[in-house]
Amino acid sequence: MVKKISISKYLAYLFLIVLCVIWAVPVLFGITTSFRSQAEVVSSGFRLLPVNWIMDNYTTILGNTSTAPILRWLMNSLFIATAHTFLVIVVISLTGYGYSRMNFKGRDTLFFTLLGISFFPGVVNLIPSYKIIDALGWVNTAWAMIIPGLAGMGNIFLVRQFMKGIPNELDESARVDGAGDFKIYASVILPLIKPVLIVCGLFSFIGSWNDFLWPVIVYTDVDKMPVTAGLLLLQDIYGNYRMIGQLMGSAILAMIPTFILFLFAQKHFLQSINLNSGIKG
Amino acid sequence: MNKKSFTPYFFVGPHLILFAIFILLPTIYGIYASFTQWNLMNDPVWVGFDNYKTILFNSDSTFYTQFKNGLKNTLLFVVLTVPILIVIPLMIAVALEHKKVKMKGFMQSILYIPGLISISAAALIWSLIFNKQLGITGNIFGSTVAWAANQPYAWITIIVLTIWGGVGGNMIIYRASINGVSKDLYEAAEIDGAGPIRKFSSITLPSIRFPLIYTFVMTTAGAFNVFGQPLMMTDGGPRQSTHVLMMYIRQLAFGHGESIAGMASAMAVLLGLVILVISALQYYVMNRNAS
Amino acid sequence: MKKNVVYSLMLVFLASIMLTACGGGEDKNTITFWTPLTGDDGAYMDQLIKDYNATNPEIKVKHVITADMYTKISTVLNSGKGVPDLAIIHADRVPGFVKQGVLEPMTTVLESQPEINKDNYLPQAWATGTIDGTQYTVPLDIHSNTMYYNKDLLKKYNVESFLDDDVVTIDEMLSLQGKLDEGDYVVNDALLGWVVLAQIQNLGGDIQQDGKPAVNTEAMKQAFTEIKKVADAGLMTPFGEDGYLMFQSGNVFFSTDGTWSSTAHAAVEGLNFDVTNIYSTTADKFTNRASSHLFAMLKNDKRSDEKEQGIGAFLEFIRENSMEWAKAGQIVASKQVIEDPEYSNYMQSFFTSNEKEIESLYIYTYEYYPYVAEAVDTYAADIVRGNVDLDETLQTMQKFVEDKIAEGSKGTE
Repeated sequence: MVKKISISKYLAYLFLIVLCVIWAVPVLFGITTSFRSQAEVVSSGFRLLPVNWIMDNYTTILGNTSTAPILRWLMNSLFIATAHTFLVIVVISLTGYGYSRMNFKGRDTLFFTLLGISFFPGVVNLIPSYKIIDALGWVNTAWAMIIPGLAGMGNIFLVRQFMKGIPNELDESARVDGAGDFKIYASVILPLIKPVLIVCGLFSFIGSWNDFLWPVIVYTDVDKMPVTAGLLLLQDIYGNYRMIGQLMGSAILAMIPTFILFLFAQKHFLQSINLNSGIKG
Repeated sequence: MNKKSFTPYFFVGPHLILFAIFILLPTIYGIYASFTQWNLMNDPVWVGFDNYKTILFNSDSTFYTQFKNGLKNTLLFVVLTVPILIVIPLMIAVALEHKKVKMKGFMQSILYIPGLISISAAALIWSLIFNKQLGITGNIFGSTVAWAANQPYAWITIIVLTIWGGVGGNMIIYRASINGVSKDLYEAAEIDGAGPIRKFSSITLPSIRFPLIYTFVMTTAGAFNVFGQPLMMTDGGPRQSTHVLMMYIRQLAFGHGESIAGMASAMAVLLGLVILVISALQYYVMNRNAS
Repeated sequence: MKKNVVYSLMLVFLASIMLTACGGGEDKNTITFWTPLTGDDGAYMDQLIKDYNATNPEIKVKHVITADMYTKISTVLNSGKGVPDLAIIHADRVPGFVKQGVLEPMTTVLESQPEINKDNYLPQAWATGTIDGTQYTVPLDIHSNTMYYNKDLLKKYNVESFLDDDVVTIDEMLSLQGKLDEGDYVVNDALLGWVVLAQIQNLGGDIQQDGKPAVNTEAMKQAFTEIKKVADAGLMTPFGEDGYLMFQSGNVFFSTDGTWSSTAHAAVEGLNFDVTNIYSTTADKFTNRASSHLFAMLKNDKRSDEKEQGIGAFLEFIRENSMEWAKAGQIVASKQVIEDPEYSNYMQSFFTSNEKEIESLYIYTYEYYPYVAEAVDTYAADIVRGNVDLDETLQTMQKFVEDKIAEGSKGTE
């Protein structure tokens, strides 16, 4: 018995460590590349660490404050992504509850129809989407970034799937106690799906943070742009990576906030929730 | 009692309105555009089923060959990546769930970081790694092949980039799901003398079946929309063998010449139908097995 | 509890709608100027605009850099709102835009600014904007395919004589076959499509015949055959390798990239390089396939005459003062600038150093050039590397262009 656990422990370690090494090397290589000069990047041979560590890439990025107010962009992104994430959590928890635990006619048909529609790749949809944003007066405002994404089906699907895994006995016993749907939603279901809401929140934040196609279309004001769209302005017209170290540096600067958020979220989406004991209690 | 029949709308209503405005309307327009000849600038001109006829039946047409080749390559990408994007994250989540394993947060972070890096930077990192003179494959493993230009290496570069960047999302969903499984169940199974494999197949898998369905369907749908990875790693080559459908669609709609957006929309609608059929099948099969 | 949730939700939506009610109106006293000039280029343009605004013009210019300008142009033209007053577009977009009726002629601007005329700009840059006798654009620059060479490598192999007549021929390059150290290459495959299109001119061919696309031609076939010789001889950087980076690491004699790369190459320590013409199939002729950044006005009924006057004043300022733009590595289109002795400090002044050089900058003006270029770019690498059959692929390319044209013309008929 004890032996079994130790074998499986070593297997688990072996698997994880091998994977982590494979995953970490490119990340480290990317980070160290941001401290390399172009001459070093293009010199033959693979070196994980730079021969000469230079800060030039970062000073160039951060120094270019007139055309590229990168700190401002970071603040814009922070506002957009936070507002978006907050609203996403409200919308998906309500909607997910509606599609999994309420009974109304055509519920599943409606849900799957919406999901199906959302599977159509939007290519030229850009044009009508822009027209809608324009009609709402949202061009060049943060709302164009915050609101449309709330319509997405992915997170609702995930929340619905999670809620389906919660035993119905829970609602029923609450209902017997005289609770209505809002009460069950708020005090029975919400606490139970907190981990998945945190996961969805994390995904939404990162998704909103990393979106670069849409902000390029809806923003004209450099000062109002989120950071990913702004960083595109630093690349050259031909989309070439003329300065490899700089591109790496800007990518790393842009991911610091999302990484911090991840570290924070990590503590919370693994809260133990014991469904079975919940029923007993 | 009357009140009750309105309550569902409070729950699903707000989203329904958002959906109608920001997804339904644009999608309907996109489908309408697929029946037109349109250059994105002027008003679309109705051409009925012409675009579809060309794409599906006119075997002389460039659009027919592009669609066929693009769909073939996209399907290949889906088949090559989706299973890995399900299995590896699941294995990671199970391994991380092991009671005796330490530094879970640290390892989890490492595996998640690539998902935070922008696709252009990620593609550049891997291009350098696969570069014969500058990278690992040439200098450390002594490979003399130009990976981006030779098969099967071209596909390998694309898949490696995709897996590396894509494992984190599903890993977290599985972590959160497995964490919700009652510890009592495992303890009871251990008392019965169940080994790790039995515990996995008879407790873990059934308990996370609903999230599993979700990841399967959404990962597949996402993979069908692949675009950035082949564009940046191989630019569709060699001989357009990694040229995926979404690349053709975007070239038609947003290429340098006059836009051929009607044809692009028709291809997008057809791709949407393929995604729809496949994900419906997946859901149906998995859901039936689950319940 | 129930009410709280509903109210808070409603509040959020109401707040979001109210907060956005105040949209931005279009400013009468500002020229909104869109450019696709990202990266350092945008900073140089910013400087030019700052200088212009410092002269206190009646109408100031506001520079908006967009990373995906052409998509953005489609969206604003569709919604009819937010169309910029002035934009910079590329030469290959002009015929299409004019045909689609989205460009305003520059007539008023030219009337108010007599110095903005054909004689004061590089001829081909000006001519790309002339369609059926009407002038639609005013040029900022020509940016061209160019060949950088590694001085040290040429010296090492003692072949500096290649440069004597300003044209490196394919035969000269082939003479190096078997003489190179391992890891050294004569030329890379950067912008290979542009190089192919240059050879078509060198061979006396064209990409159109009577307005019909001509891709499957003898000239095209010969262009590919000649370039393929270089690859077959093992002198071209290997397929799938990053030839641009290999040039920067000092292993390649010639890099066929663009005028705009000179600043990037200069940033590589220890790279001793200069610029010359793209290699040619013949010693008699050389061509550098080029494009141009052009000022243009998209159709917009709301653009007032005063604004057009303001645009004229701004363009005249650019004509006189665009030395700053030379820093971006581009060949400035204004003759006043390139004739200034200061301009000769820039590497790209090579391309305006004499008449023959100026003539070598070739801008394709064929209406369907973008489709032809797309076909060439899609298939060039595989042809040159011998992955595909040449004749068969040329047929496919011809069909590729014809099919795309057929789709485009249906709507206008």
